[in-house]
Amino acid sequence: MSDPALRLTGATVGYGDVAIVRDASLTVRRGEAVAVIGSNGSGKTTLMRGALGLAAVLGGTVEVLGAPVGRLREHGRVGYVPQRHTVSGAMPATVREVVGVGRLPRLGLFGRPVARDRAAVAEAVDAVGLADRLDDPVASLSGGQQRRVLVARALAAEPELLVMDEPTAGVDAASQAALAAVLARVSAAGTTLVVVTHETGPLAGVLRRAVVVDSGRLTYDGPLSGAGPAAGPDCHHPDEATARPVRGYRLDQPRPAPDAARVRDGSR
Amino acid sequence: MELLDYGFMQRALLASLMVGLVAPAVGVFLVQRRLSLLGDGLGHVALTGVGVGVLTSSAPVGTALVAAVLGAVLIELVRARGRTSGDVALAVLFYGGIAGGVVLLSLAPRGQATNLDAYLFGAITTTTTSDVAVFAVITVVVLGVVWLLGSRLYAVSDDEEYARAVGLPVLPLNVVLAALVASTVVLSMRVVGLLLISALMILPSAVAQLVGRSFRSTLYLACAIGVVVSVAGTATSYYTGTPSGGTIVLLAIALFLAVTVAVALRDATARRRHGRRTDVHAAHPHEHGEGCGHRPVPHGDHVDYDHDGHLHAPHRTGTGVHYDEHSEPAVATPPAGRERA
Repeated sequence: MSDPALRLTGATVGYGDVAIVRDASLTVRRGEAVAVIGSNGSGKTTLMRGALGLAAVLGGTVEVLGAPVGRLREHGRVGYVPQRHTVSGAMPATVREVVGVGRLPRLGLFGRPVARDRAAVAEAVDAVGLADRLDDPVASLSGGQQRRVLVARALAAEPELLVMDEPTAGVDAASQAALAAVLARVSAAGTTLVVVTHETGPLAGVLRRAVVVDSGRLTYDGPLSGAGPAAGPDCHHPDEATARPVRGYRLDQPRPAPDAARVRDGSR
Repeated sequence: MELLDYGFMQRALLASLMVGLVAPAVGVFLVQRRLSLLGDGLGHVALTGVGVGVLTSSAPVGTALVAAVLGAVLIELVRARGRTSGDVALAVLFYGGIAGGVVLLSLAPRGQATNLDAYLFGAITTTTTSDVAVFAVITVVVLGVVWLLGSRLYAVSDDEEYARAVGLPVLPLNVVLAALVASTVVLSMRVVGLLLISALMILPSAVAQLVGRSFRSTLYLACAIGVVVSVAGTATSYYTGTPSGGTIVLLAIALFLAVTVAVALRDATARRRHGRRTDVHAAHPHEHGEGCGHRPVPHGDHVDYDHDGHLHAPHRTGTGVHYDEHSEPAVATPPAGRERA
């Protein structure tokens, strides 16, 4: 019916003129929930940054919502949750202010927020379960809550495609469960999810499809349960995953030497 | 008031009012961006503009403005290229700026006003009527741009990568911020001085962030502090005969130290008083919440969590959450679980 959320055709992505991900082809349809899995340095983060216009496309094509990456006319259709452990910058800021930033792409260069925008910000904060903290300084929130603030910031733009980098890393079990519930609702509402992660356990109930990146190449594309040799029994019961925190399989465990030597850069 | 009888003092106080208002309004974004010393560097560059102005007998304020804005744009373009040599390029620009200014000023013909100290550290007698007019225009323009683009500047200063990913015009916004800094530097060259302006951009923000809760309130507070120290410092320098810039900055530093101590004392006494009334868990890495695995127990106006037989009450403060012990043997339950410590 419409353009795919994300389409890579023989894409080579990297920094400067160094290619990190080579010859990647991938199509993510609207409404899908996809995990991008790989060990540290595999290129999974670079792949995602290429789709966001943060890394250079050195060959092939990367199309986002039907337009070449970076050429999308209307901003705010792509949401991004970076991997940051804290939100608080040097200056104090309230949850409302941080999440309000997420609405800016919808406002153009000089537009000022109107009632509709303020409502969107409040809804986004409510969606991540922090409505009662709207006017608290973000510095007073726990690490997991701050991560949810970043999710709310991305949701405030009401994006069609939501890209997240390691949303569950370093977050306690309660916040992981809260995050999974938020993403399940967002996904059910039709938003396309692309989640870069090395532990799919906490989100196994939300993400259906997995793409595995290894040494800069896509090595697997299919159902989440079939991804990777280490897929444990947990992953075959995605329904249980949201009920209780599950240990996901981790692909970034220490590896034998030959591979370890290659595990470099990529993630930055 | 005696000091208002003199025309030069009226002009100096007007100029200090404007720079006190504008410098923190731009400075908060620099602090947020962790680029506090950009103002200092642009002050160096502006000195070359001053030298050119003195040599060509044109108004040094105008030439300094041109030099500082050009330097600011250049710095952002160098930074945007992201090469490792960017750091060195900035150093070359900054020190080239001050060296050029010193040499050009030394070449000025006799009889020209070439008091280098006054440009570097501020002097209350130097503000001319036309300076005040130029300063007024700069003030209006800078405050107008901050009002118009403030939330975008905040977004880019706070998380540049995110801003880029969602399609905000990062480079143009950075250039605008650098140009605002350059304009503020020039605004400062009479009463604060080119070498000390950075302090007036940063210190009021540093004081305000100790007590502020939101970015907006911190910004307003920083501007208020800037106006107070700037005007008070200028007035003081009239009586003490000291350079106005140095006086203003020392005043700002004194305020910074006083507020730092006051905030530390307030936190310490609040913690001690709170500790007398109820037991507080020193460190509690687990965050209680819905579905955290501990049984929620309604308790008055809040919910406790049953943690291995202890009732833990979340207590939110400005700096985070800690847990109070609300189990039975404890003293009479404090009225609220969320009072500010």
